Amino acid sequence: MAAFKGHAREASIAYAIAALALVLAVAAPGYFSAENLSDLFLANLPVLLVAIGMTLVVIAGEIDISVGATFAICGVVAGALAKAGAPVLLACAAACLLGAIFGALNGALVAYVGIPSIVVTLATMTALRDALRWTTEGAWVQDLPPAFQWMGLTQRQFPYVVTAVTVLLTVAAAWSLRHLAAGRAIYATGSNQLAARLAGLNTSALKCMTFSTLGALTGLAAVLNAVRFNQIPSNAGIGLEMKVIAAVVVGGASVTGGTGTLLGTVLGVVLLAAIGPALTYLSVSAYWERALQGAIILAAVAADGLSHPLFKRVAGTLQPSGGGRGRRARGAA
Amino acid sequence: MTPLLLSASSISKSFEGVSALRRVSFDLREGEVHALVGENGAGKSTFIKIVSGAEQPDEGSLVVCGRSIPHMTPALARSLGIAVIYQQPSLFPHLTVAENLALALESGSVWRRVDWAARHRRALELLEGTGAAIDPQRLAGTLSMPEQQIVEIAKAIGADAKIVIMDEPTASLMDHEVERLFSVIGMLRAQSGGVIYISHRLEELFAVSDRITVLRDGETIVTCDTTAIDRPTLIQTMVGRAMAESAAWQPRAAGDVALELRGVSNRSLGIHDVSLHVRRGEVLGVAGLVGSGRTELAETLFGLEPADEDRGEILVHGAPVRIDSPSKAVSLGIGYVPEDRRQHGVVLEMPIASNASLASLEAVSSRGLIDRAAERQSAQGYVDRLRIKAPSTSVEVGTLSGGNQQKVALARWLSIEPGILILDEPTQGVDVGAKAEIHALIQELAGRGIAIVMISSELPEVLAMSDRIAVMHAGTLSGVLSRDEATQDRILALALERSPEGAR
Amino acid sequence: MREARLSVQSWRRRWFPNGEWVLLLVLVAEIGFFSVLAPNFLTVGNFFEITRFSAELGLLAVALTPVIVAGGIDLSVGAMMGLAAVSLGAAHQTWHLPLPVAAAFALLVGVAGGSLNAWLIARLGLPALIVTLGTLSLFRGVAEGMTQAAVNYTGFPERFLFLGQGYLGRVVPAQLPIFVAIVAAYVVLLHRSVVGRALYAIGFTPEGARYAALPVARRVGLVYVLSGLMSSVAAIIYVAHLGQARSDAGTGYELDAITAVVLGGTSVFGGRGTIGGTLLGLFALAVLQTGLHLAAWPAELTGVLTGVLLLATIAADRHIRRRPPVRAFVEEELQVKNSQVAILCATIVAGSLIVAGTNVWLIRSVGAGPRASGGLQPSPTAPHRLVVAVMPKAKGDPYFVSCRAGAEEAARELDVDLVWDGPTSLDAAKQNELVENWITRKVDAIAVAVENRGGISSVLRKARDRGIRVVTWDADAESDARDFFVNQATAEGIANALTDEASRLLGGTGEFAIITGALSAANQNEWISFIRKRLADKHPGLKLATIRPSDDDRDKAFAETQTLLKVYPSVKLMMAISAPAVPGAAEAVRQAGRTDVRVIGLSLPNINKPYVHDGVVQTVVLWNTRDLGYLAVYASALVAENKLAPGARSLTAGRLGQIEVRDSQIILGAPMLFNKGNIDRFDF
Repeated sequence: MAAFKGHAREASIAYAIAALALVLAVAAPGYFSAENLSDLFLANLPVLLVAIGMTLVVIAGEIDISVGATFAICGVVAGALAKAGAPVLLACAAACLLGAIFGALNGALVAYVGIPSIVVTLATMTALRDALRWTTEGAWVQDLPPAFQWMGLTQRQFPYVVTAVTVLLTVAAAWSLRHLAAGRAIYATGSNQLAARLAGLNTSALKCMTFSTLGALTGLAAVLNAVRFNQIPSNAGIGLEMKVIAAVVVGGASVTGGTGTLLGTVLGVVLLAAIGPALTYLSVSAYWERALQGAIILAAVAADGLSHPLFKRVAGTLQPSGGGRGRRARGAA
Repeated sequence: MTPLLLSASSISKSFEGVSALRRVSFDLREGEVHALVGENGAGKSTFIKIVSGAEQPDEGSLVVCGRSIPHMTPALARSLGIAVIYQQPSLFPHLTVAENLALALESGSVWRRVDWAARHRRALELLEGTGAAIDPQRLAGTLSMPEQQIVEIAKAIGADAKIVIMDEPTASLMDHEVERLFSVIGMLRAQSGGVIYISHRLEELFAVSDRITVLRDGETIVTCDTTAIDRPTLIQTMVGRAMAESAAWQPRAAGDVALELRGVSNRSLGIHDVSLHVRRGEVLGVAGLVGSGRTELAETLFGLEPADEDRGEILVHGAPVRIDSPSKAVSLGIGYVPEDRRQHGVVLEMPIASNASLASLEAVSSRGLIDRAAERQSAQGYVDRLRIKAPSTSVEVGTLSGGNQQKVALARWLSIEPGILILDEPTQGVDVGAKAEIHALIQELAGRGIAIVMISSELPEVLAMSDRIAVMHAGTLSGVLSRDEATQDRILALALERSPEGAR
Repeated sequence: MREARLSVQSWRRRWFPNGEWVLLLVLVAEIGFFSVLAPNFLTVGNFFEITRFSAELGLLAVALTPVIVAGGIDLSVGAMMGLAAVSLGAAHQTWHLPLPVAAAFALLVGVAGGSLNAWLIARLGLPALIVTLGTLSLFRGVAEGMTQAAVNYTGFPERFLFLGQGYLGRVVPAQLPIFVAIVAAYVVLLHRSVVGRALYAIGFTPEGARYAALPVARRVGLVYVLSGLMSSVAAIIYVAHLGQARSDAGTGYELDAITAVVLGGTSVFGGRGTIGGTLLGLFALAVLQTGLHLAAWPAELTGVLTGVLLLATIAADRHIRRRPPVRAFVEEELQVKNSQVAILCATIVAGSLIVAGTNVWLIRSVGAGPRASGGLQPSPTAPHRLVVAVMPKAKGDPYFVSCRAGAEEAARELDVDLVWDGPTSLDAAKQNELVENWITRKVDAIAVAVENRGGISSVLRKARDRGIRVVTWDADAESDARDFFVNQATAEGIANALTDEASRLLGGTGEFAIITGALSAANQNEWISFIRKRLADKHPGLKLATIRPSDDDRDKAFAETQTLLKVYPSVKLMMAISAPAVPGAAEAVRQAGRTDVRVIGLSLPNINKPYVHDGVVQTVVLWNTRDLGYLAVYASALVAENKLAPGARSLTAGRLGQIEVRDSQIILGAPMLFNKGNIDRFDF
């Protein structure tokens, strides 16, 4: 598998997870109960789904920090529609569509107007979040129809369905990134946008597509999260963007584009999701939790940097031939 | 009359009211190599961009294979069988060589499935066609400049293009690879394709082209058969005035040994056991095939990747030194004009003055604060002395032509008043006029007692400029020739000394 | 035709060679706009107040500029502020070091944190984004761990507080000279020094800079170390400004600072950007925010408008820059014209200052009329209506939304103008800023739900000095900083009610766990300390197993409870003391099918109704929030009309009737216990 050479980051994250698992297996075997794992999975499902989309965006050389705000809006909209009498599935589809529209809006501003994505999404993040606050005045969506919770399924069935959907989506995304021409085109766009355009790829449309995919996945994540409860808060997803980006970059995707795998992202999500509850199981005081999380992330990433003496050299030679985002006009003759 | 593959008539294009092309007409027949020449800034690049769909002309029409194309796009150009080998290779650094080729060659819906095995096979095939042993699984970002160029050529071969545009394809190639390229061109010609060939190496033009079109200041000056024009006339047509072709080498009295290498190695760059010396006032040419370690040797000497500590030693003016960083090299009086001018040689977005002073900021500052007047004055001095064509020292270097950019890169290193100057491909992609000026400058600097190490892939240049010539092969020195003993054949023999598989 | 187009283009190029010019116009437009719309906006005092709020954020933004110019990013600046603040507090209060030494220690901590970033980024070559994302967690986490998130260092000497609260010559905020000096130092560093030149080169092309023999790692490292140092300086000013040091200092400041830098035209790709641009960006945001407050427009508009501003400015800038590179000779022409541009700009600035000056005079003269006569002889055409400004801790919080309903009801009954505004999320510094804005706006009474006791008191005293009546509600400030405190229930009362209820449900023995809000939330920490006290005094059979944070996020409370249920199977009661945490914990208990576990907590009736009816949630403790808002406005209006004087023993508040006043505390009554029997009677 040619392009999968250099799995350094994935490997070091996998080791970190293995080490954590080992400690837990000895100190708190209860951690591996099916119930706990299922709870953990459901709780981190939004992060995972959004991270899949974020991986695409990051590989294409962009970034999106407005996902938390989109997440909140999509949840509220799905709830409001269901409350207004729309069938649950339709309400959910509408929320995904809304997410995709927000994503496409970000994408259009990035790809067609040419504003750096961090600026666009910083702007949409503050604007959307405050607009939602303004309209809901902090009120939660309540009195949802009974069919809303668990999407009409039972609490027992729901995790199976969601697991199936998520696994399917993850595998499909991973497969497409690797084996579909469109997936490779995303890598090409992030690696060297100018060359991609000269190779006849419509890089603007591709970028727009990655953003709206991310938006749709964010909508889906919001819906799947919302239906686990019987009311929807209007301030959901605060800090979601940071969790997701942390997972994606810890998983080895470069924020300058062109590299990253879904395997790495999934491992990144698993590591970050596992740490928090693991510390509870190990009876670490909640007050030191955040410090430990930061230290573990830094250690995992630094280990990767330290263990490869040639890291800098390779990074150095990769850079000049002009990959990634921004300033790539210099590659033009 | 053979049918026309391409006919561009009365193409005009202007940027911001400044015209880059004025009613340029150009055509290409089947089985023909049509050379397009002119100084940098004459409009060649703009013309190529229009033909390949990267830019839209303001006026004029394009006819490809008898079909009028009102609106050319890169994708359309590809489907019409137009392939471009750009001067600056445009590869995807994070993707493998195989995939780079596939992206350029495969077509179809973006939702199709990728056949990795077929991609790999095809890549191997194409790379073999160019005669270079590049592993298709390597990431393009780890390729050297010439290797990247070879991948670009493989792309054009694979495209089965009817019209291949080559923009300085040989800029970083050795003669050995150039011959391969010419055989590729011969192949294209036999299949009644056409080649638009752009190069500053005039001997190549005469060797390979059927017709020549000269552009100057955005206008077509002349189109004629290659046989109908001779070299001096061509140069005169290009620059618009009569000029001497190149500065003659003058014998100089060589001084003390300025730089000496004793068994220097650098494992991480694949350099081993290099021993040589350069005297003050001497030009040491360094020749060798692509990947033979010339640039890597220069990077070792400049401290970008320090030499192995446990093996060999470097002596500067007789004293053993350890060069572990570029700043250490600078403090020893070593300057390095790198191969990749646009990425390493200059900072395109910064003005001339800042570029020229970047390596010698202490000289134009006091207590850490920059004296802008002194900086400007110093830069103006270099602009005058090196005849850099620029209206002022506050112009961004990116707006200058290649030759002038190279002069700015030179100015940066002259400003540290170097004792040893390493020049890596100093005239690559530089037009005829500027080339002659840079050659004259090298001779002048040597005359003033600077020890010069000049790496070049252009053998005539190496032969014309050097006092002695070191030839590299597979990461080590395969021989040093004096000016009198050196010939193209002997250099090539040394460069190929061991089996070609030895070189990557 | 072509010449006309050309001249337009060169005009534009001359005026907008980069984003800063666009931004200057935006700033001028903002100032003009709010001068007309917002009372007392265009005053010298307001100008200086804006610089005061901007100092901490400004320091971060200024320090971030060279980082971003060099092609990096530092997300850890806000977290570093928190760490430096508690370092300062700990050094001064716990280790009893003299203040200058403590401050030096805080600075040292900043340098150390910056050095960690520098080492990881510059030496190991790791991506800045991911490194500083990690150190963001690390720094904030260490700050929380050091203080157990609860310690709030206060009681700094007056002379130190002067640094953040005092005035030089009555108008110039004390922190302004420090800010100006640091800005000047950064201007020299970035635009004049050898280091700055290297940073630009590195930002444009890091490899190229290496080939130019620049010490890339050292230069890049330096900016991160400096950014850590400046975060500490900002933290010291922040502590002096608010009078307290807590681990949550500077939360979220990194994004605000980056917004200012990016708005100021600095390219996130490196190489382009100026300190001047950053300052313009900073003030464009500060003016927008202050203007909206003074114009009494909803605070949520700030976010929306910031987003729009950011997009519009950068898009305009892109539009201008997208044109092909300037040809050499055009550049020459530009050279000549630069001085003329400067003169034109100076003229415009001078012009706007003159306009501003006349406006100030106009507004003053217009404003003086009614105010002077207001007390004695209300003009028949425009009777002076009382303006009562009420501030919740956070606007979007459902708890405060329900308070607002009561406040509006009271305002209608009393016929006063109600200004309801507050931070969009818990933020002590924003509260201070808003009070300052209201002082500038000259409202009649201010009623604040205090987030930060030490921090807000000095600014409330200032309001009282200016003749504004001050009432606190929900949580109190220092007693000399306000006229009255509307006390809904004391912390002790709440803690006792919760603990007693827990004991009742558990039958006197058993384990329980607390789900709190954010670990550093002051209210919750106070309740927890009283809960511990009550346990020791009255309920020795109860054991507090653990405390987990929910960050006021329902979903996090849910996940934490799920884990708790498994890790502590003997816990039979969840006590959630943050409004969204109660339904979160309840849902977790319900989904786990643990009918043996009960949930109680402090929350709003509405969001808990389903769980109370299901029997998952036994009891919700709260007071009537609607009445609280009602009473706060009623009391404020009475105080402002001098109908409620110090020493009063009671007051009559509309539908609430007679209300007891004890030692300047207006007592709403004991907390209510909502349960299956009564919860449907309440709608908030």
